[in-house]
Amino acid sequence: MNQYFNNICTTLYSIAEGMAVTASYLFRRPCTIQYPNKLEKPMEDQLSERYRGILQVDTRVCIGCRICEKTCPVDCIAISLEKDKETKERFLTRFDIDISKCMFCGLCSENCKTSAIYHTKFFNAVTQNVENLVVRFVDKPIALYKPPKGSDLKNTLKDLSGAIVNQKMKGRAL
Amino acid sequence: MLKTELKHLKPQVHTFKEEMILNMGPQHPSTHGVLNFLVVTDGEVIHQALPNVGYLHRGIEKLAEQTPYTTFIPFTDRIDYLAAMFANHVYVLAVENLADIEVPERAQFLRVIACELNRIASHLISTGALALDIGASTPFVHWIRERECINDIMESICGARLTYSYMRVGGVSQDINEQIADDIYKFLDHFEPIIDEYNRLISFNEIFIKRLANVAIISPVDAVNFGLVGPNLRGSGIEMDIRRTISYSVYDQFDFNIPIGKGFKGSLGDCYDRYFVRVLEMTESCSIIRQALSQIPKGDIKAKVKRKLKIKENECYTCVESARGEMGMYLLSDGSDRPYRLKIKTGSFTAMSIVEKVSQGLMVADLIALIGSLDVVAPEIDR
Amino acid sequence: MKENANLLFLFLFKTPIKESEFSLAWYVLFVFLVAGVLLFFAANFAGITSFIERRIAARIQSRVGPNVVGPQGILQWVADGIKLLLKEDLVPDRADKFLFRAAPYFVFSGLFAAFVALPFGYGIVAADLNIGVYYIFAITSLVVVGIIMGGWSSNSKWALFGALRSAAQIISYEIPTALSLIPVIMLTGSLSTQDIIKAQGGMPWDWYLFHSPFTFVCFVIFFISALAEGNRIPFDLPEAESELVSGYNTEYSGFRFLIFPMAEWANLWVISAMVTLAYLGGWQVPFVAIETLSQSFLLIFLSAGVFVIKTSIVVFIIIQLRWTLPRVRVDQMTLVCWTYLVPFCLAAIIGTMIWMLIFPWETLAALLLRLIMSGIGLGFCFLYVQRVRFNYFNDKMAFENLKGKSLWYPFWRLP
Repeated sequence: MNQYFNNICTTLYSIAEGMAVTASYLFRRPCTIQYPNKLEKPMEDQLSERYRGILQVDTRVCIGCRICEKTCPVDCIAISLEKDKETKERFLTRFDIDISKCMFCGLCSENCKTSAIYHTKFFNAVTQNVENLVVRFVDKPIALYKPPKGSDLKNTLKDLSGAIVNQKMKGRAL
Repeated sequence: MLKTELKHLKPQVHTFKEEMILNMGPQHPSTHGVLNFLVVTDGEVIHQALPNVGYLHRGIEKLAEQTPYTTFIPFTDRIDYLAAMFANHVYVLAVENLADIEVPERAQFLRVIACELNRIASHLISTGALALDIGASTPFVHWIRERECINDIMESICGARLTYSYMRVGGVSQDINEQIADDIYKFLDHFEPIIDEYNRLISFNEIFIKRLANVAIISPVDAVNFGLVGPNLRGSGIEMDIRRTISYSVYDQFDFNIPIGKGFKGSLGDCYDRYFVRVLEMTESCSIIRQALSQIPKGDIKAKVKRKLKIKENECYTCVESARGEMGMYLLSDGSDRPYRLKIKTGSFTAMSIVEKVSQGLMVADLIALIGSLDVVAPEIDR
Repeated sequence: MKENANLLFLFLFKTPIKESEFSLAWYVLFVFLVAGVLLFFAANFAGITSFIERRIAARIQSRVGPNVVGPQGILQWVADGIKLLLKEDLVPDRADKFLFRAAPYFVFSGLFAAFVALPFGYGIVAADLNIGVYYIFAITSLVVVGIIMGGWSSNSKWALFGALRSAAQIISYEIPTALSLIPVIMLTGSLSTQDIIKAQGGMPWDWYLFHSPFTFVCFVIFFISALAEGNRIPFDLPEAESELVSGYNTEYSGFRFLIFPMAEWANLWVISAMVTLAYLGGWQVPFVAIETLSQSFLLIFLSAGVFVIKTSIVVFIIIQLRWTLPRVRVDQMTLVCWTYLVPFCLAAIIGTMIWMLIFPWETLAALLLRLIMSGIGLGFCFLYVQRVRFNYFNDKMAFENLKGKSLWYPFWRLP
């Protein structure tokens, strides 16, 4: 009998406690980020510095070592190099990244000696056609970068906004 | 040909009069992923429930045989998407054991911090989803909100929110700075009172207790015999934690309790014990993170490891305490740069084996509570 | 009904109606007019409540809720309705097609017929039936017939589970619902909804809620069993979305599906109005006697406003309960009914009887006791507010540290 009334009291009390918690949330700030229309600040500022977004290649500083191609677990990077037989100069003729395959693991950018390949904060890779997600960074052969001796390789400039990828994908989608 | 050979592997049930077969899943809302249960019921009372796994098999073990040691890490994220850090951890530990690599101490501390944060995130989903299965949707959303804070911290540490790929063979990929440590402290200060609030909202709610207490009791003997691990085993009152028994990484330097089920609101080993052990473990994880942050030494975060790592013929079994219990990897090398064989042992798979025994005589609603309290994750069952 | 029709005719055309064929036509027209108004009210209430519930649920869950369609998203329910109207009306293969199509009509008519006897203000009632409360119980039972038909004819095991649970639930909870209103009926001596309200007063100590401890218990029991009849959490077993996929309406789509949630939200009004009229003093305006209330139109509108506000508060509490509590199991549901609610109801009926004999309504002792009861109720409210404040300040410092923003964001501040 004691148990019977005890049950009723604890049930009503615990329900009231739960109601007090939910009622307090009516006065507390919601945590929603209203993406994409009502952002308080642009998405790029909300993401952290180390965010691993879509890959981008700065072909000006690529030394053509192909480490990224080899370390990629899903083989989404394809690189072709050609050598001018006369001048012995090597050219980058193809640097494609298949973003639909990429799993954003960061192994390629970590191993890149000159930070030529790096993650941007750009993540919105929506297109009408899957083929648009293959980003080709080389339009015409580019001479490979020769780093000056003794220089700090990691200290090259980065275009972190992802403008190049953005432009390339948009250009293809249109 | 193959079809007839494999026929005996399909679950076979025999029904009697008044019984009916109910197919629960793979599109059922509370089977936690693609899981199928063949349920023989009489009205709402279950006579037999057979789990039918294999809908999410992706052959990750086979993939490992074709991938170099150092580049397999991103695949391990996909074993258990809710607790990716543990799969990372056990894999790099296995490779380090095999190749005799010494890991800097700072890296080990960073691993512990990341793992414990991930354990909190995983338990948040587990306990919240159980409440959602029971019918209360608010706790789940509150927990998702807290998990989002952890995701933000993880993003600032390693750059990803779910599939971290944080660990490397011989260390970790990124260091934490003052700013991130401060963020973690702030989060913990915010999170610990919220656990109490959560308990007031749902854990101590009488309806919730009545739904979970004395339901699907797993006795300690059964828990051991069926190979349950982690919080499911501890919920049955057996104090078994790989962090304590094997003490991998730097876990021996921290002072923490191992919560075990005591029959908090019902009898030992019921759904509520398994649930509440997880809630208590979150508090313990908070204390481990605080200790790790205060004790963290300065130094390197990564040992020098060849990019093309070759390991001579050897074998090892390494395990860690994942959010879902013991996660082990058996690694067999043959001198090349990729493993000869990788076998993954996960907690969810063993947890599925006990469903058939425990579920007899439960109701359909209890079966959902049981699955929720076992905290199974479909990709971890099938790998 | 007839008097009201005559009154409206007089009001519109300034001449009294003649007893001829024309008057019969006028009555039929009047009935359709009232039915249209009620339907309009019920359908719009259901829609708007669905939107408001989603917004409240969102705030309880630290979210924002639908805010895209229209200003602050207030047209969301219209968009949802249009979407469901435009969807294909699917009938599953090997379903019992006739019953499958007929089931929503039962749910619809059972629910909307209940609005006939519900009051909205002084004299604002479609039909002041002398068996009003009884009629509402009887007619809302039709809903369960529709639910069982829909669940059985769907040819789906989940839907069948939902239907059978619904049958068990509604049949068992009819009893405490009816029993817990008996003290009110005893106190009033009438089953008419208007009479029940007229017997109460405007101030809280004149409500039946605080008449005696027994009526207070009856109020709690009535509230719980009304929740169960309305398929609301913690008793939403027929459509337990995590257990039975979606319960009895799993196989429905399009407009036929729309009927079920619409009826559920309209039922919210029926439940809340019943609670208000039986225990919370209905449309009684504080400090205004009933005799003066009938004098001016303004006061009648005021009484309607009071009724709507009181009902809305009850609706809000029901919504908040839904987003706080988990769901009970099917055997616990019947257990609660038979071992807790029914015995308490019977005890409360006897208790109220004795109370009525010892402390008749008009005596000073009865008034004092009612005042004390109201004081205790107020005390509980105060304690509740204290707990809400505690929960708020529990998180305040750490939250502001973490996010760098103020935690204070009341619900009236729209995002």
